[in-house]
Amino acid sequence: MLPDIEPGDWLLVDPTTRSWPRPGSVVVFREPDSGMLAIKRVRARSGERVPFNGGYIALRPDEAWLQADASVAMAQGAGFGPPIDSDRFGPVPVELLIGRVWFRYGPLHRIGRIRRAPG
Amino acid sequence: MTFRRIASAFAPKTTVHAHCDLPCGVYDPEQARIEAESCYRIVEKYAANEDPAYRTRAIGIKEHRADLVKHHIDVLWHDYFKPEHLETVPNLHDLFWQATKQASKVKASNDLADAKRLLELIDEVDAAWKATGGPAKTRVAGRPG
Repeated sequence: MLPDIEPGDWLLVDPTTRSWPRPGSVVVFREPDSGMLAIKRVRARSGERVPFNGGYIALRPDEAWLQADASVAMAQGAGFGPPIDSDRFGPVPVELLIGRVWFRYGPLHRIGRIRRAPG
Repeated sequence: MTFRRIASAFAPKTTVHAHCDLPCGVYDPEQARIEAESCYRIVEKYAANEDPAYRTRAIGIKEHRADLVKHHIDVLWHDYFKPEHLETVPNLHDLFWQATKQASKVKASNDLADAKRLLELIDEVDAAWKATGGPAKTRVAGRPG
C-alpha cells in the first residue's frame, strides 16, 4: 500500500463501519481465501462493474472490489509476485469488512488522516 | 526509557497485511526445457507437413510454447538466482539474456538449429542451477531421477 501506508504504520480503524465506504477509502478486512487480516483500497462497490480477466464483473449488493495500490510491476520490483487483492480472490462480501482506516498515529513524522484516493 | 514505555502502551496490538504473492520457492529449469523441447518437435513436424492449416496451427502452438520458455527462464532469473550466485556463475546475466533472446528467436523461426540452440542454452541454465545447489534448495525431494 506504499506510499500511503508503510510497513510499521500505526493506524486507527473505525470498526463501526457497517457498509463498504466510498471508493478510494482504505479498509481492513478478512481475506476471503485465508481469513488473514489485510489492508486494501476500495475500488468499487455494489452495483458497479469492474474490469476483470478481459471482461467485467457486476458487483452484487454489499460486495466491494478491493485493490492494492501497488501495480504488478511495483510488487515485482520489491521482490514479490502480484499483489493479492480482488484480482485474485474476487469481490469481497461486507461480512468480511473490519473497518475503515482513517488515521495514522505513528510514527510521529507521519501522523495524519488517511485520505481517500481520488477516484 | 519512559518514552518508550509510554509509546509501547499505545502501540497497535493487531497487525494487518498488505501482502503480495510470496514466491513458493520451487524452481527447476526442467519446466523451460520441456516447453523448449516442445518447440523443437513442433519445428520438426512443421517441416514434415505441407498442409497449410496444420502449419498455421503448428506456428500458433510454437509461439505459445516459446512464450512459456521465456516465462520460466525469467522466473528463474528474477526469483531463484541471487547476487551471490554470480561468484559461482560469473556469466549468469549474459547466459539468461542469451537464453531469453533465443526463446524470442525460436518464437519467430522455423529453423531447427534455432530450437536446438535454445535447448543448449537451457542446459547451461540447468548447469548453473545445479552449481548453485538448486536441486537440494528448491525441489521438495530433489529432482526425480
